Formats: sequence, C-alpha cells, structure tokens
Amino acid sequence: MEKHYKIGTDQQQAYLRDYNIAPKGYGFLEPGLVAKDSKNFASFNIAKSFYQVYPEVFNLTYISEKVGLSKEEISKRIKRMYDERLFMLVSNSYVGIMGFGLYYWIVKLKEDTTKEEREELTKRFQENDQVCTGYMMEEGGEFDYFNGNHMRNLDNLIYGVLDKFRTKRCVEYVHILPIRRLVRESHVNMFDCKEDYRKYVWSEEQLNNLLKIQNKMDEYDFKIIDAINNCGSVANMFDYDVLAKLSGLDAKEMKDDIVDIVDHQKTIIPMIYFNYAALGLKLHFFAVSLFENTPTYRAEQICDELAKDPSFENIFDCADGHHNFILSAYDGITDLDRIRKKILSYGEVIEVLEANSPRQFRRRTCRLDDENGLYEECIFTDDVLLDRSKE
Amino acid sequence: MKILEARDYVVKNLKHALNPSSIAVVGASRYPTKVGYKVIYELMEWGYKGKIYPINPRAKEILGLKCYPTLKDVGKSVDLVFVAVPAHLVTQIVNDAIEIKAKVLVVATSAFKEIGREKLQNDIVETCRKAKLSFIGPNLVGLGSPYSNFNCGFIPYLPVKGPIAMISQSGANLLAALGTSQADNFGMSFFVGLGNKADVDFAEFIEYAGEDPHTNCLSIYIEGLDSPEAFVKSCKKVKKPIVVIKVGGSKIGVKAAFAHTASENPESDEYYDKIIKEAGAIRARTWQEFLDISLALGYMPPLKGDKVVMITNGGGAGLLSCDHFERLGMPLHELKDISPMLAQRIRAYMPMFGSPLNPVDISGTANVIQYKGAFQQALRDPNVDGVLGAICPTAVTDVLGVAKAAIEVYESIKGEKKPFLMICQGGEECHEAIKLLREHDIPSYPTAEQAVNAMVALYHYGTKK
Repeated sequence: MEKHYKIGTDQQQAYLRDYNIAPKGYGFLEPGLVAKDSKNFASFNIAKSFYQVYPEVFNLTYISEKVGLSKEEISKRIKRMYDERLFMLVSNSYVGIMGFGLYYWIVKLKEDTTKEEREELTKRFQENDQVCTGYMMEEGGEFDYFNGNHMRNLDNLIYGVLDKFRTKRCVEYVHILPIRRLVRESHVNMFDCKEDYRKYVWSEEQLNNLLKIQNKMDEYDFKIIDAINNCGSVANMFDYDVLAKLSGLDAKEMKDDIVDIVDHQKTIIPMIYFNYAALGLKLHFFAVSLFENTPTYRAEQICDELAKDPSFENIFDCADGHHNFILSAYDGITDLDRIRKKILSYGEVIEVLEANSPRQFRRRTCRLDDENGLYEECIFTDDVLLDRSKE
Repeated sequence: MKILEARDYVVKNLKHALNPSSIAVVGASRYPTKVGYKVIYELMEWGYKGKIYPINPRAKEILGLKCYPTLKDVGKSVDLVFVAVPAHLVTQIVNDAIEIKAKVLVVATSAFKEIGREKLQNDIVETCRKAKLSFIGPNLVGLGSPYSNFNCGFIPYLPVKGPIAMISQSGANLLAALGTSQADNFGMSFFVGLGNKADVDFAEFIEYAGEDPHTNCLSIYIEGLDSPEAFVKSCKKVKKPIVVIKVGGSKIGVKAAFAHTASENPESDEYYDKIIKEAGAIRARTWQEFLDISLALGYMPPLKGDKVVMITNGGGAGLLSCDHFERLGMPLHELKDISPMLAQRIRAYMPMFGSPLNPVDISGTANVIQYKGAFQQALRDPNVDGVLGAICPTAVTDVLGVAKAAIEVYESIKGEKKPFLMICQGGEECHEAIKLLREHDIPSYPTAEQAVNAMVALYHYGTKK
C-alpha cells in the first residue's frame, strides 16, 4: 500500500522508522500537498477575494445564532471591522509538510543605534517581500525585531536576507530560529498543538480588560470573530451557496474539498486575524531558552504545558536555535508578571528575553501597513523556489 | 463556444476592444510585480488617453488613480473591462459588467476549460451572450494597437506601427511577434490574444480587421477551430490577404493544444488544409515562414505574374534563391525570356565578369550606383512582375548605402504596384539594413529562402485574386 504519512494517521512520521532520521531537528512530514490555488482551496480563495465587499460569504445564519444579532447587523459589523483594518481573513499552511522550512530570526541592535539606522532597518523589513511575517519591537527591549521567512533552505535565508544587513555597524546579533512546531499563531491553535486543533483562544482576563480600554470594538465584534474562528468544522465557516453564486462553482464540491483539507488532512487553517496594532495594543514577547542538555521530549512537554494558557497569542517552538520558545501576550491587558513567573517556574529555563511590539509588518505574506496604502496586499514570496545562495 | 457566423454586435463592439474610451481593470494591484499593476502601468506608460478605473476592494489608490471596490462602484458604463483575477471570481465580475453595461470583457485569467472547468466557462459565455457583452478570452495575454497607443495586458511593449493584424490564440507567440516587431521593424496594426476564445471567435476579429483602415494583412495563429464554418465565411468576406499558421496537429501536440488553450483537434491536418484553402487563406508551416509571408503580404502589392528578377552581388544567394523558387513550384525565368532589352540594359551596371542571367549577379564589387541602376531598370521594366534584391557584405560593399538606394528607387516607383523584396544576409550591418528597409516598408530578410517564401506567397495571393 502506498504510504502518505498524513497528519493524525498511523503513518504520520512513519518514515522515521523507515529511514532512521533523528527526531531532533525538523524532519519534514511527507506530503499531502495542496497548492493554494488548487480546487480544494477554492472556497477560501473566493471568500478571501470577496469578504471585503460581500460579508455574506461567511455563514451569517450560524454567526447570528451564536452571537445573538441579526444577519444584517453582523454583515454591517464585518464590513466596518474590515474597513477599519481591525481584522483580515487569512490562512496558515502547515509548512512542515511543504518541503520547505519556516525560519524565524531575532535581531538585537546595539545600544548606540541611531534613529536613522533603526528606521532604515524597519523600512527594509517592512518592504522585503521575502519576509513573510515580522514584528518590530519598541526601543529599550531585550531584542528589536522578530521576523520570519519560509524558505527552501537555510542558505537562502542567510545569503538572501540576513547577509544583506547583519554586518551593519548597528547589529549586535541575529539569532536564527527554525520552527519545529507551530503551536499557536494569532490566537489559533495550529497544526502542532497537542489539543484543540484550530481552537481560537483568548483569556477572559484579556477580553474583559480590552473592552475597558478601547471603544473601536465591542463585545459583539469579538463574538463575531470568535464565532467564525471557533466554527468547529470549516463546513460552518462560510456560506457555500453564496460562494457558489459568486463564483459559478459547485457549492457541495467546494465544501467537501475544504472540509477534507482543513478538517481531515489538516494542511491549512483558514481564520480571522485580529490586527492588534489597529487598537493600539502592544504584543509582549518572551524569547525563552532552555539549558542545552534539556532533552527534546522535555522541551516539548514544557511547550505543551504553556500552550494550555489561553493568554498566549503566539507560541512558536524552535529547533536548533538559541531560543526554544517564542511566546507573546498583550501588554496592558494581561498579567505579564504571572506569565513571567510561570515561565521561570521551569527549572530548565536558562534565559528569558523580553520586548514589546507595537507593530507587525506582515501577517503570513499579507502586508499590514495601511499607512503605505498596502493593507492586505498579499505577496507570494518565491523563496521556496529560488536558490538565493548565489545572490 | 461554437458560432455559425460572425455576430454583427460583436464585430461592432470590437472597436471598443481596441480603441476604448474607458477601461476598468479588475484585479488592479498596488504591487509592481503583479499583473494587475503592470496592466495599468503599461496603459499609462504607452500613452493611453482614456479613463482608467482600477478595481480592488483592498486598495484606495493605485498608481495615483482612485480605486473602486467593485465594478458597480464606478457608477457608470465603461467600454472595456479587463479581468486579471482568479477564475473563481469571474462569474460575479461578469454580472457586474453586465449591470454597468460594459461593452467588452477581456479575461486574462486561466484555469477554465483547459483544466476541466468547461461548465464554468460555458456558463459565463451564455450569460455574456444573453446580455450581448462581448467576451474575449479567457486565458489570454492581452491586446492593443500602436495606432491608439493602447497596450492592454501583461505585455511589455507595443509593436511598431504597420499593416499586419496579429490574431493569436497563443500569448507566448504573440509576445514573440511583438518582440520581433520591436527588434526587426515588423509593423502591426493591432494585436490580440484570443486564448480559449470561449465567446469572441476568430471570425469576428477577421471581419473587424477586414474593415480596419490600418490593416492590410491578417496573420492568424490557430490552435483549434471551434467554428470552422464561421471562419471560412468571414475569410471569404474579407478582401485582404490572410496568413494562417495552424499548430497542434502532431500526436502529442493535440494534447498540448488542449492543455494550453482548451483547443480540440479531433480532425486530421489535411482537414485544416482544406478549411484554410476553402477560406482563401495562405497556410504557413513554421513560425518564421508565418512572419515572413505576413510581412510581404502586409507591405507589398500582390505579385501578378511569375516574372521575377533577382539582383544580387553574391552568386551563392542567387543560387539558394533560384533553387528554392523551383522547389516551391515557381521557377525563375531567364532574364532574356522576361525582357531581352532589360538583359542588355542591366549590363551597364555590372563588371564584365557579372552575369545577366537571372539571378542577375552584379558581382561582389558592386557599388551603390550599380545597385541603384540595376534596381531601377528592373522595377521600371513593364515585363517584370517583381524584383528580389540581395546584398552580401563583401569588404567593398556599402550595405547601408545599398539599402538607402533601394529605398530611394522603391519610393520612386511605388505607383507601379510591383513587389520589391530584399535579402541582406550577413552580420550586424545586414541586420541594420533590414531594419532600415523595413522602416521604409520594404520587406527584407536575412536568408534567401525566407525572401523566396514571401515572394511565392505574394504570387499565390496575386494569382488567386
């Protein structure tokens, strides 16, 4: 029988038995590849192209029942939230099965870095299409940028991106962080989260505090996003009849296709991204390092325990990097002391670096810089195809 | 989808496709690397004077132009809607285009019938036909005309102005022709990529080109004919030469043509021979031949008889030519049989070791004056139907000087309605001469066989008429 090594099946990582690849590092799972323009993904692509104008691409009947507002009101709110750049419909692909790596990297600048030098780097990271995700930190933190690329190999990252700036006078260091497990991103439990795949999480504490400190979004707005993201099966996320009407494609076929790749194959997660910067929020990052002799399984246990805390907006688990975990939680609405103590309660933790991010450059290739007129401009980076080592 | 004959409303609408007063670009992008950006950029760059409406629900402004979330938000009709978004968005865009009463819809998008979505493509066509919205494409590269400074698509440049209408199913070959136009002065009146030609078909562009004042020759690249009856009928209507290249006849080519532009080729190649013959068109077998023949038919009058005189400074070029003329069934006649007086007169323009046969070899030492005299004598002789000149770049040949002499002579006898073609076989100086000659409407070629193919095509067209 042909093996497919699909996630959640007995064959997952079965090649590790077949080929004896060491568990440390990032051994890719075998494919179950779904191209983002394939028919299997049509419903998401239609919704992504139309939701700005036609909020009814979402399953308004279901959202209305869950939120307790009329469909018209929900539709109006979705449109308003988009126009005010408070959210964006996005998708996360499981990079572990794609034959390329997800590499994040931390940049620390020297203390005497000038304003101009800092601005030049910020502009570079905002505009570099090879940087698919990125966060700028406030001055005075223990690091200054946390950016990510998906690239076909480390050479591409080093030659194509890092070598272009890391020898600058103002750069103290760059730490490369290959991602081993994508546990949570933008509040949504990702493919490598032990429990509750695709669950959208916020702590009650955060939500309550957030409603008190701003007036751009109310309780119902958050409930709408929650309903879409916590829809259970992706079958409930969209109104497939509306998608069929807009596209001319078959509603049932579209639904079956996306249910297969999202619910069953777990290769991609459609979701609503909450644009924290639009509310003036800052994300507080923790770069956590464990003792060198911490076994991999123990590192993963710690990561899984931390993932039970809904206060974390992002949880990245890194392999072979200076840091083991990158965690983030909102400043101002989260008890960061409690979190700090919780992290330090693990005897294996050797170092925790912290920094506050008021700005995210991109969200998985989608630009967030509305100030440049480029909100939701999706840049498909071709790093995975090109050999940049000769650049 | 099949049509039995060109539809009047479509033919009438095509003026809005090639010279629109307003364009909406659906899928306009803020990013310079994307097609939706390039389309607007190239329209502006090449001097399009009409109104441009970028459509993108995520953007507020693109290239300094106000951006609209949907077509409906433009609030008025537009002549042409250019679509550069994925296939699954096209249905709604078609509905919007109909609502604003757009006249022409050009869909660059791929992923329709060629990947198995025949129903989606056909549904869109039916909707368009009901509303009399002319739908060009899908799966095409673009269209344009240098006469209206109109470059619409992801096309890097306009061709130079000229008499050839290039109607192509293939975008890549269309781009190749545009590149040739720029590099080698291959002048075009307009160009269009038809892609899957789901709605607007060859027949309609043929009839449009038939009436287009800038077009003298129609050059058509075909991967598949859905509507052969309409094709034949329209070709017959048009009183201009038509050159056709039909590809996808090989065993694997049949499959490749379907994967490319959803073209179905169940018939044999002989079937297409018959169709093209019935249409009164000339069939080229290779891309180069297609361009060479088109060039001659575009710029030159038809060759009314087979009395062609060749004047060359190189015996080799002459031999290649006369052998090829004979291969193509139109052997050269000796000069004394064409015009005994010409044979005598032309001697004055060659050294004693030259040959006044046909080809007339005025020898490798021929200078500009000798060329000029020989060309003039041949072109003015009433017994001569056409002249083929050839330049071989010897150390004493002033290649550009000869080219200029050829231009001067040709301009002085234009009223004679005789074809005059040139061969310039050699290096850079010959390429320059070819460009110069073409700039002055004299079809010129780098090899003898290319020029002979062209001359024979002029003969076929001239004698068929």
